[in-house]
Formats: sequence, structure tokens, C-alpha cells
Amino acid sequence: MTVSTVAPATVEGGVGTSARRPDGILKVAGEFAYSSDLWADEMLWGATVRSPHPSAEIRAIDITAAVALPGVYAVLTAADVPGARHYGLEVVDQPVLAIDEVRYEGEPVAIVAADHPETARRAAARITVEYAVRAPVTDPEDALSRGDLVRHVPVRRFASAGGTALTADVVVTGTYEVGMQDQAFLGPESGLAVPAEDGGIDLFVATQWLHVDQKQVAACLGLPAEKVRLSLAGVGGAFGAREDLSMQVHASLLALHTGKPVKMVYGREESFFGHVHRHPARLSYEHGATRDGKLLYVKARIVLDGGAYTSSTPAVVANAATLGVGPYDVPTVVVEAYGVYTNNPPCGAMRGFGAVQACFAYESQMDKLAAEVGLDPVELRRRNAMTTGSVMPTGQLVHGPAPVADLLALVRDRPLPPAATGDPRERPGGVANTTRGEGVVRGVGYAIGIKNVCFSEGFDDFATARVRLSVVGGEPAVLVHTAAAEVGQGLVTVQAQIARTELGVTKVTVATADTSVGSAGSSSASRQTYMTGGAVRAACQAVKATVLARVGRAGELALVDGKVVASDGAVVASLVDLLGNDVVEETVEWRHKPTRPLDPVTGQGDAHVQYAFAAHRAVVDVDTELGLVRVVEIATAQDVGKAVNPQAVVGQIQGGTAQGLGLAVMEEVQVVDGVIRNPSFTDYLIPTILDMPPMAVDVLEMGDPDAPYGLRGVGEPPTISSTPAVVAAIRAATGRPLTRVPVRPEHIAL
Amino acid sequence: MTMRPITFFRAGSIDEAVAAVSSHPDSAFLAGGTTEIDLLRLNVVQPTLLVDVNDLPLTYLEDVDDGGVRIGAMARMSDVARAPRIVERYPGMSQALLLGASEQLRNMASMGGNMCQRTRCSYFRDGQSPCNKREPGSGCSALTGINRGHAVLGTSEQCIATHPSDVAVALVALDAMIRTIGPDGTNAIPIERFFLRPADTPSIEHPLAHGELIVAIDVPALPVARTSRYVKHRDRASYEFALVSVFSAMRVDDAGNVAELRLALGGVGTVPWRAHRAEEALIGRPATPENFAAAADAEFADARTTPMNEFMVTFAKRAIVRELSEVTS
Ligand SMILES: Cc1cc2nc3c(=O)[nH]c(=O)nc-3n(C[C@H](O)[C@H](O)[C@H](O)COP(=O)(O)OP(=O)(O)OC[C@H]3O[C@@H](n4cnc5c(N)ncnc54)[C@H](O)[C@@H]3O)c2cc1C
Ligand code: SF4
Repeated sequence: MTVSTVAPATVEGGVGTSARRPDGILKVAGEFAYSSDLWADEMLWGATVRSPHPSAEIRAIDITAAVALPGVYAVLTAADVPGARHYGLEVVDQPVLAIDEVRYEGEPVAIVAADHPETARRAAARITVEYAVRAPVTDPEDALSRGDLVRHVPVRRFASAGGTALTADVVVTGTYEVGMQDQAFLGPESGLAVPAEDGGIDLFVATQWLHVDQKQVAACLGLPAEKVRLSLAGVGGAFGAREDLSMQVHASLLALHTGKPVKMVYGREESFFGHVHRHPARLSYEHGATRDGKLLYVKARIVLDGGAYTSSTPAVVANAATLGVGPYDVPTVVVEAYGVYTNNPPCGAMRGFGAVQACFAYESQMDKLAAEVGLDPVELRRRNAMTTGSVMPTGQLVHGPAPVADLLALVRDRPLPPAATGDPRERPGGVANTTRGEGVVRGVGYAIGIKNVCFSEGFDDFATARVRLSVVGGEPAVLVHTAAAEVGQGLVTVQAQIARTELGVTKVTVATADTSVGSAGSSSASRQTYMTGGAVRAACQAVKATVLARVGRAGELALVDGKVVASDGAVVASLVDLLGNDVVEETVEWRHKPTRPLDPVTGQGDAHVQYAFAAHRAVVDVDTELGLVRVVEIATAQDVGKAVNPQAVVGQIQGGTAQGLGLAVMEEVQVVDGVIRNPSFTDYLIPTILDMPPMAVDVLEMGDPDAPYGLRGVGEPPTISSTPAVVAAIRAATGRPLTRVPVRPEHIAL
Repeated sequence: MTMRPITFFRAGSIDEAVAAVSSHPDSAFLAGGTTEIDLLRLNVVQPTLLVDVNDLPLTYLEDVDDGGVRIGAMARMSDVARAPRIVERYPGMSQALLLGASEQLRNMASMGGNMCQRTRCSYFRDGQSPCNKREPGSGCSALTGINRGHAVLGTSEQCIATHPSDVAVALVALDAMIRTIGPDGTNAIPIERFFLRPADTPSIEHPLAHGELIVAIDVPALPVARTSRYVKHRDRASYEFALVSVFSAMRVDDAGNVAELRLALGGVGTVPWRAHRAEEALIGRPATPENFAAAADAEFADARTTPMNEFMVTFAKRAIVRELSEVTS
């Protein structure tokens, strides 16, 4: 028996339990300190001057009136940026403050620090910027023909027999559109920058990845990384929107300039300009199949509007391309995916990351194909479902479990919800509607999606964890320290669970994430439990090895309930006695198995680490006269490998599904000529609790041998297939083609 | 965006409130603040003096005449919605209130303020686009912009903004009376004359003089209103303005003819829309779906649409037919 298999299961609050969240009660009681609650004595408040134009040349900036305002400490423009004047996640192209031109509405042009937020805003309003307005490029196809390309990812794979010809007995085509979705997190961008005595800066901020922020902020400030220290402040949701910088450099610049702490908090409207959105997409598909519904080929052209700057568009394009046919065995695949620059709001990371747009299109196509060949939609999918050992369009072999058919069967076999009872609350449109059932049609729709977990394409993806074991107050205690961002998903809880399981110690504290420990990578790509969880586990195992080495016979011993226990269960020593005043601390940098870049011409390569799958069945009642939709129930099944915290897993599945439902029927950032028309939560609609139906959730645990505890990233898959499932259900009820999301009443009933 | 200092004054009496506002050109009353403070922060309105009327004794609800109700201007939406005499006598009005905004907003928002709430047109609210309502003569951005939620009835070349209120739809159907006290004394304005269509002056929404305070809304006795109803169709199940809403109060006689009808529409008009043409088309006629459809057609005969909002005409007609059919079935 190996050391690592002895301890699990016995510890309270360990892996596999729904351990309580330390932040849970605080958040529910309204006492949790979010980044917008940060405070420092004598701090100043920052404000940002933003471009009202999607495209313009800056002729002049006059700050005199702003500087003259009492209470104003600093007014800075691009010329005041001491280091690099651009930043970016991978491509460094976004100006800290606009240089000679603006390329999207809301682009930061100047920043102000004042002793009161109102004064700062007032000063910002006094800054006059002379613009020579240009016609914005807002149509992605125009951008493409102009050559404003961020990235083109082709994926070409041909069945060994058929050659390169795309022919089939049954062919279905379709063009689909996905509107721009917002992450709609509740905690706006905010943080506090505090100038330090060493000339550096301490930055407290709500973000997804402290170290990537640190790197960019340091470069822009012209400081070495060690002088830019970041700590995670309370994050009110992220969903990808905090992957790019917002106020980080601005607050730091103002703090260094004034020698005072500077706080910046965006308002709700400003937040719509302060972060990237989900890429709007236009997707044209052609599916070829045999008469009995076996896919022969899929041909697709996907155009994603990246907006004004690169952000994470290159990786989003790669995801759309490589995951573009869905979790199916397709012998021949020809996908061309493009990301383009326009003068629309920049788009980047959002939960589902390129897989969402593709899934809406390929699942719509699968339904179309099912109808064409006369098969039930689930049966058609089952016939084409990938399995372990399948080959992706990239040529990558799917090693781990791929229970696509099982997941579909699970949602299909759930009992259907009963017919509406006539209770007004069950009507489409809720109590506000009056129909007693005439014109109300029920529809059922299915969808399944695939998502890659962790960073891809050869990226050196790692996480660092420092774990310390010592005796505190007469009890063994563990301190876990990582830089991983708790963004609400429950990562702090999970880290403690892992430490409890590995070290057999119940008292575990997770230190605030900061940059005094190595990078943990981003809280994105559904990777953090896998990656930082893996690092914490590895660091715990290193600590355990050190401790057990003191006893000797390490291989036969385990740590259980604060004691060293032999394989026959006999207690060899207590940790308290064994450690005394010693501290055992280990830091581990942990990596998943390496990935490879995609071949730029064929799109072939083992680019992804792990695949995750979720299936949805949506049941809707549609008022076909007035286009009102009530989602009656959503059943979902997801393979999570190992539910490290079952309650958190279900929370992710429900939240992700709601976000997908939002995209299906209401969420869209409306952009006209590059200008956002609905930057508020009154006008950008997200589902309320009345829009969200009860959910039936099946969680499969088919361990992935490559992953810690066999786990599979959980966060993104539920967002991906819920959108097409809801739309499929509305189609089933109405017979409408519904090729664009969000679907609106007028698309359903006219 | 410009920032201006604002003076805040809490009026102790109606006279004080009226005097404070009427003597100061850039002033406004402040009730629940759920419209006023929003617009102030959006820089759509720029008062330099806010006169708070929350301390005035105007939160009452009392009976008048023979079964009517007088609602104080400062009565909160949520209180009015749940008041037994409203629920019994005007259930459609109670429903209209409860389907508006959110519970938190309804706890703040006053009935007087509700009558004066401004349009949700995003060009009006962004504080900078050309907008004849906000900046007379500057043009109307909505005509060629996003106008899916804009009005199809009562529009003009100058403005097509929808009136957003729900409860006002009920009140126009009920022939309510707006009672005011202004610098020139008391006044009573029939509610349909209170809401002005945009015509050539979309910036003028009410006949109120500057400093004229709504003190009460009188709702007359109307037995048919005891079975009134309000339905609201919208893009999500709660906390959203209407795509189209319908208030109806109808009595069908023993012969199956429409004996009495009050019908009004929300979400489709530049003012809370009393469906006079539909009422006229139906009163005295058999209460049949065909007649309901003909009445709905008559109401929308002069509708003016854009490519984005033309669906509203179909939707509104269907909503009317369905609502009246439901009431009769
Ligand atoms: C997010 C949101 C959603 C909403 N949804 C709905 C909805 O679905 N349906 C709906 O009907 N409404 C809705 N509303 C509007 C809401 O009902 C109004 O904001 C509210 O009724 C205004 O009342 P108030 O007391 O807050 O007015 P205030 O904001 O204080 O005042 C509004 C205006 O009226 C003037 N005023 C106030 N009282 C008087 C008076 N006694 N005499 C003369 N002038 C006066 C003020 O000077 C100001 O110009 C919504 C509002 C918000 C913010
Ligand atoms: S519709 Fe009316 S409120 Fe809207 S922009 Fe035009 S004038 Fe202004």
C-alpha cells in the first residue's frame, strides 16, 4: 500500500465531502469584504476618462481645468506612463492610456486622483480631449477582408479513405449567430494601490491571476516584478472578465505619482467598458452523414469578433476550431476559425471560451441532421458519440473517460416533468400572463458539449503551493499558501480539503493569495482545482514524506487524525510529539502533462490536456402567440471525474447552466456602430430566480488517471450545452429555425 | 459629464415645498428618488436644488364619494398595491403595481413620482445622444437606432419614446384625476390630459407648472373595476418593463354583448394608452373573439412602426384578444 492511499476518507472535511466554505456565512450575511470595500487612511480616489468614440485620433488633451480643481492630486495621460506603454495577456498591444488614438468606446484616455471620488469624477469631466472621429470598423467580415486578423486557426483532418472530397448522402447546412454576452459579475472592477517605502507598490485587487497582473503592471510601471506585490482582495465573481487588466496599472500609477494609496472602483456602467466580453460569432456549418446518421464530415467557418485589442482572442479561436465539431467521431473535418480586430468592445475570456459559440452551432446542426435522417436527436448523437480512444479533429487521442453516450442517456432517461398544472406561476411569462394553456406548447431539447480543461497549445502551465505543518496551540495545524484566486467558486475550501486529506490534519488555514508565493496560473479554463489542487496535494505529499522520514519506514506509514499510523493501524507517534517546535514546509511547482502547439496549416497536435463533457435536456413551455418562454426544467449530467466538493460541483453546474440559459433567451450586449447601447443591469437582462427552473443534476465520477484524484474541471462545461438545449427545446415547440441567440419573443411568434 | 453642487431641502409643508421649487428655476421635487437620482447621476437632469417631499403628510389612502379612493402622492407603490380597498375595488391596479419594478423599488417609489417617471429610451438616458426630449431640437436618435422597445402609438417625428409606467395604464383606464397644488393654487387634471403626447414638444410631458406638486390621485368608484385585470408581457419573468401590457375591466350583459369596457395598454404608446377606439368598437357588440380582433385592429390602425418594433403591433393585438377572451370565458 502506498502512502497516499492510506489517509483519504478518514478526515472530516476532506476530499469528497461538502466541507463548509469559510467565506459562506460572511457572504450571505453581507459581511464579506470585497475589493470595493478596501480602505486605507488618507487614500485618494481614482477616476478614468474614457473615449466616447469607437474610433478617433486624439488631437489634443487639455488637463489644465482638472489640475486646477482643489482636491485633485494627479492627472495622468499616456506620456506619464514610466514603463511599457502597452500591456496584454500574451500580445502586448493595449495601451495603458490611449496614445494618439482610441480604438473602442470606453478606452481609457486619462486618469485622475483626488481626495474624494466625486472630486475625481468632476476633475475627469473637466479634461477636454480633442478627437478627430474616424468611421469605426464594426463588421467582422469587413475586418477580415481588410486583413485585420488576430488569428486564423485551421483544423483539417481527412478520413484515410475518402480523400479530401466532401461528399455524403445527407448534407445539412446552417449559419448561426451568437450575440455578445457579458460576464455580468456583481462586484465591479476595483482595487487599492499602496505606495511602498522601497519605491514599489502593494496592490490589493480582485483578479483571476495575480502573477500575470504582476508581470504586466511591473512592466508598465518600469519596476522589477519583486517591487510590485499583489494580494487578492475579495472577488465578486469573474467568469473570465478579470483575466485582462482593468484598473491595476492606473491605480498603481496614481499611487506612485502621488505617494498616497489610491482606490479605484468602477460603477456598473463603467464596468461594461472595463472588461472584455464574450466574442460575438457567426458560424457557417455543413454536416455530411450517411442515411443512418453516421457523420462523414463537418465543414465549418467560424468568425469571432475580437474587438479592438488582442486579449485572449487567439486562444478563443483555437478552442472554437479544435472543439468545433463537438464530442463526436467525425472522420473528416475542415474547420476555419478566424478572430478579427474591429472597433467594437474588446472580447476575450468568458466561461466556455470559444466552445460556447461552436456548441450552439454544431448542436443546432445535429438536431437538423437528426430531423433530416429521421432519427431521435439523442439517438443521432449516440451514434456519433466519441468514446475513450476516439481521435479529435486535431489528431489528439482521447485518453481519459469520454462518457458522451452515458451522459446523454442520463438526461434522456430522467422522468419528464409533469404537464403544467394551471398554476399561474407555471405560465410562460409567469403570473403576468393570462393564457390558460391555449397556444402554449411544450418542447424538449437536448445538447451536449465538450470543453478543454487547463491551458493548451504548449503553454507552460503550472501552479505553485506552499504547505506548512507545525503545532499550534497544542494541535497539529496546516497552513496552505498559494496565489490561486478564489473568485467565488470555492477554491479556498477545496485547498483546505486536499490538505486535510493528504496530511490527516483537520485544522487547515488557507492564507490570502498573494505574489509572495509562486504563480498558480489563472482561475480560468476550469483548471484551478486540477492545477492548484494538484500543487497543494504535491506539496502536502512532500511535507508528509519529510515528516514520515523522521520516523523511518516511510512507505508503510500514514498520517491519520494527527497521528502517524502503521499499515496495521497501530499508532506510531502523534504529530504533536513528532514535530515539537519544528516547522515542516515544502513548496512545490506542479505541472500537468505537457501539450503541444497546433500545426499552423493542418491544426493537428496534442494541444489539450483534458476534455470535459456535460449534457443538458431542457423542457420549455412556449407561448407561441406571444413568444414567451418558460423553461420548465433542465436536467443535466456531467462527468467530473471526482467531486472534490459535491455541493460546490452542483453549484457550478447550476450557475453555469443559468449563464447558458441567459445567453439562450435574453443576454446580449447591444452594440451599434461600436457603441454599447445597454450598459446597465436594467437594460442588459440576466435571468432572475423566476427565469431559472428547477434542475435535475447527475454527477458522474469517472476518474481521469492523469488528474489529481481523477478530477475533471467543472466550471465551464455546464455553460456550454445549456444554451443549445434551451434553444432546441424552443425549436421543438415552435418549429422555428432560431439560428441566433439570444432568441427573442418576436423570433418565436412571428 | 459635468458635476454640479446640489442643495438639498427637506420641505416641512406643502406650501413650503411648492414655494421652494417654484421660486428656483433649476429645482425639482424629490420623492422616492428612484427615477430622479438615477437621472441625476446619468446627467440627464441637472437640478441645483432638490426639494424632498417625503415628510409631507401625503401617504394616505382614503375613501372619497361613493366608493372611490384618494391616494396620497407619497403613498408607496407597495403599500397601495396591498391596500385592501385597492385589491378589492381595483384588482387590476394592484396587479399593475405588483408587476412593476422590484419589491425594493416599490417600497421606495411613490405614486406621484410614478406619474412623473421618465422614459427608458436609452438615447434619452445616455445623456449625450441627440434627443429631442432631453435636448429640444437636437433630433431623435431612436428613429434610426435601437428602437425595439419604442412606441408605436402616439408617436411623432420628434419622439417615439414609450411611457414606461404600469400603474398609470390602470389609472388612465379608470379615469383617475390628478390633484395638484401649485404656485397658483389647487388644480385637478383628468389623467388623460396629464400625459402629453410628444407632438412637437417631447420635452414637455405634463401640464404641470414648475413647482406644481401632485398631492393626490383620485380614483373614481367604478363597479366594473372590481373584476379588472392587468397582464404584462416582457423579456424576462420579473423585474422588467413591459413589451406590452393590457389593463381590462369588462362587463358582458346577459345577451353576450359588451356592456361596459375599460381598456388600456402599456409598452406600446408614448403615453399610458387608453384604447378608446377599441372600447368604442366593442361596447354594445357581442363579446366574441372576432369582435375583439376587429377592435384591436381599430386601435392600431394608425400605428407607426420601425423594422425593429413592428412585431409589437401583432403582439399587442394578440394580447388584447387573448385578454378579452380570457375575461369572457
Ligand atoms: C430598475 C427600475 C425598474 C423599474 N421598473 C418599473 C416598472 O416595471 N413599472 C413601472 O411602472 N415603473 C418602474 N420603474 C419606475 C418606478 O416606478 C419609478 O421610478 C417610481 O415610481 C418613481 O417614484 P419616486 O417616488 O421614486 O419618484 P422620484 O424619483 O423621487 O421622482 C420622479 C420624478 O417625479 C417628480 N415628482 C416626484 N413626486 C412628485 C410630486 N408629488 N409632484 C410632482 N412631481 C413629483 C420628481 O421631481 C421627479 O422628476 C422602475 C424603476 C427602476 C429604477
Ligand atoms: S425617442 Fe424620444 S426620448 Fe428617445 S431619443 Fe428620440 S426624442 Fe429622445
